[in-house]
Amino acid sequence: MARYASLYGLFLLQRFKVLLEYRLNFLIGASSTVFVQAAGIATLWVVMRQVPSLNGWSFDELLLVYGLLTASRSIEHMFADNLWTIGRQYIRSGGFDRFLVRPIDPLFHLLADRFNHDGIGNFVIGTLLVVSAWASLGIPLLPLYVLYAVLAVLSGGAIFIALNLLTATTAFWIVESVPVTRAVHEMHEFAKYPLSMYHKGIQAALTWLIPYGFASFYPASYLLGRDVGWLVWAGPAVALVLLLVAYRFWLFGLRHYSGTGS
Amino acid sequence: MTLRRLLSRYTGFSGMAAKEFLAYNIWFWMNLFTSAVAMTIFVFFWKAIYAQADQIAGLGFQQTLNYVLLAQVIAGVGESGILWTFGYQLREGRIALELLRPLDFQGMLYAFSVGNWLTGLLSRTPLLLLALLYGLQPPADPLAYACFAVSFFLGASVMFFFEWMLGCFAFYTTEVWGLGVTLFAIQLFFSGTLIPLDMMPEGLRLFAQILPFHQIVYTPVSFLAGITPVSQAPQVFLGQVAWIVGLAVASRWVFSRAVRAVTVQGG
Amino acid sequence: MSQNQPAIEVSHLRKVFHIPQRDPGLGGAVKALFRPRYAEKVAVDDISFSVPPGEIVGYIGVNGAGKSTTIKMLTGILAPTAGLVRVLGRDPHKERVANARQIGVVFGQRTQLWWDLALVESLNLIARIYEVEPKRYKELLEQFSYTLELGELLAKPVRQMSLGQKMRAELAATLIHEPRVVYLDEPTIGLDVVVKEKIRAFIKEQNRAKGTTVVLTTHDLGDIEELCSRVIIIDAGRVIYDGPLATIRERFGKYRGITFETARPLEHPLTLPPGAEVVGQEERRLELRFDRTRASASQVAAAVMGQLEVLDFSLSEPDLTSIVKQIYGGALSEARPV
Repeated sequence: MARYASLYGLFLLQRFKVLLEYRLNFLIGASSTVFVQAAGIATLWVVMRQVPSLNGWSFDELLLVYGLLTASRSIEHMFADNLWTIGRQYIRSGGFDRFLVRPIDPLFHLLADRFNHDGIGNFVIGTLLVVSAWASLGIPLLPLYVLYAVLAVLSGGAIFIALNLLTATTAFWIVESVPVTRAVHEMHEFAKYPLSMYHKGIQAALTWLIPYGFASFYPASYLLGRDVGWLVWAGPAVALVLLLVAYRFWLFGLRHYSGTGS
Repeated sequence: MTLRRLLSRYTGFSGMAAKEFLAYNIWFWMNLFTSAVAMTIFVFFWKAIYAQADQIAGLGFQQTLNYVLLAQVIAGVGESGILWTFGYQLREGRIALELLRPLDFQGMLYAFSVGNWLTGLLSRTPLLLLALLYGLQPPADPLAYACFAVSFFLGASVMFFFEWMLGCFAFYTTEVWGLGVTLFAIQLFFSGTLIPLDMMPEGLRLFAQILPFHQIVYTPVSFLAGITPVSQAPQVFLGQVAWIVGLAVASRWVFSRAVRAVTVQGG
Repeated sequence: MSQNQPAIEVSHLRKVFHIPQRDPGLGGAVKALFRPRYAEKVAVDDISFSVPPGEIVGYIGVNGAGKSTTIKMLTGILAPTAGLVRVLGRDPHKERVANARQIGVVFGQRTQLWWDLALVESLNLIARIYEVEPKRYKELLEQFSYTLELGELLAKPVRQMSLGQKMRAELAATLIHEPRVVYLDEPTIGLDVVVKEKIRAFIKEQNRAKGTTVVLTTHDLGDIEELCSRVIIIDAGRVIYDGPLATIRERFGKYRGITFETARPLEHPLTLPPGAEVVGQEERRLELRFDRTRASASQVAAAVMGQLEVLDFSLSEPDLTSIVKQIYGGALSEARPV
């Protein structure tokens, strides 16, 4: 474990050296996602000027939902972006074989191989949204709440990563897995708004099937003192179970790969 | 060379665009899916919003729903992706080759884009069906459809030349990804893909009107959604043509400077 | 591990791929999802051999013969369908990580270095992945810098390197953890003679000094001649020759190729000295082969020039592909000591 942590640190250090070599690309890349989020937030702002609430949620409360989701997403974006391109960049080209002849875990190697700086913008904007919404909503700054929020973002991030791992593993069979990953990932758009505004079926899907709801709606409900039941505590457990399932599936895919090659 | 022969050479490129497009059919379904998700979210979102007010910026629920659904149906179709094209060709070192062809480079890509717009619109039919399912009420007046078609075509042409100018940035940077994403975000907001421009506060709305992005979504869709009356069409078209002329000239000038900058550096 | 245990042991190795069959289009994709059909492809049929520690073996075959599938099983990337593989006494697939520490692999044109990183940074990272002791790493880096002339390359990222520089960098990266078994796939492809020589010398040196076992796949007869005392030739997933290089040389080394560029296409059949024959012709190119124990190059050239207007001609050593073809064609089946 300590070995992997220090290895990851080294990978990260090397990555930043490269990024600093291309300073302009780095800046544009890291800020590009800020613009995408800004478009969404500006739209919300434009609409929410006209009405007092959306399904009983004020603009600041919506920003909390949006911010929690964006921060969660940024964790996947920064640390697990290679899952998107595993088929195209590693399996098709044979580069994945290189991971298999090295004495470290291939999944670790894949993830560590490229930290994606584009996610930094998402992380900053997500955090800023949460902090500013927190302040303007007057949520008390209790250690319990802060700890809860941090844990919520971490488990939200884990849910994002687990779902991408689950879908990226299909690359071992179909090579180009991006459409599958994107189809599932796209569902996180629903979680940018309070789940309560949707049809019951969609709510259930975003809770039990593709549980992005635990990255935004449930933790926001808890922090705002809205009663949505025990589910506000389920996030970390859901994340853990999903990670385990995804990892098992990954191992299964890996076995299939060593049976067939590319 | 006769005009007809010249035209047929360029239309060849439009046909090629169509074929290339259909070849990537998994991506095609993927894009439809993304738009379908967005449409679903919008339907619930606007229902919840209009539970609080009968009218927003003078628009009733049905009008807004019509607008938002149609905007999703044609979202992205009017783009030409010139920035990506330039980025790709520069990276692969193919731009010099393209410039050597005995056809006007810009004319060729324009023909290619026209093909993309046409097939793009056709390919979005499944989304139109979904929009109808979600309560879209299309207008009865055939003139509204004609105005939509003309202003979409003109608007996409405006954006083609505008993208052409922005695409010239590709000559000066090594990576266009971040720039492309930024452009996408700005366009998403100012084109009116997410909300009708009418809902924006006055200053922001004026700013959006100055930018050309609204030409590929807001301008054509507002004819169909009954926001812009058909009687204003001549004015709108004239404005679009003026944009095209201005940008066409400017884009060629910027492009020639960019090419020179690269050849001087010996890239 | 005992001294006389083989470094590599392979017995009755077999690998069958199941390739999914799919009709084109979306309908085909859906059908394949519910009722998948497979075609069987036997990549490695039945291969057995054993390599003692410290040997350099040439592993040869035409493309698609099963070379890379074998290497993938030896390195632990693929699991065998049947048969046994042992590398330094281990099952390379089941004990993948333990095996990976002991082996080094060069995958031809595919680099293992990070494209944008300076070479020395890549090497640092690789040394850490393999947990090379820092002091030892320093020594080796110095050694390699000298023998592979890495000097100014260390600060260069791979993307700025020439093909020859890349291969030198690649070898350093492959051997920095002092693997006991090394697999080299086409290490000299596309390189000029001087660089080829340097790389061969380096491989020989590593083998001599450290007793590194080397499995070399190549199309270059020069690589084999300079490095390998033994070659294994495979075709259609089976070993068709396993023995000393000398035997092959005796049987096939006596052939030379000679290619003519003529003013006009050949119209009449040529009369040639005994031991010479036409092996290929197209337009104004004519390829011949002759047995150098029975005819000389000048005899053949003179014979051709007497019958045709020749613009240019060149002599060539036989390449492995053609040798493999001959063996497979059963041309000299008595050459098999298998």
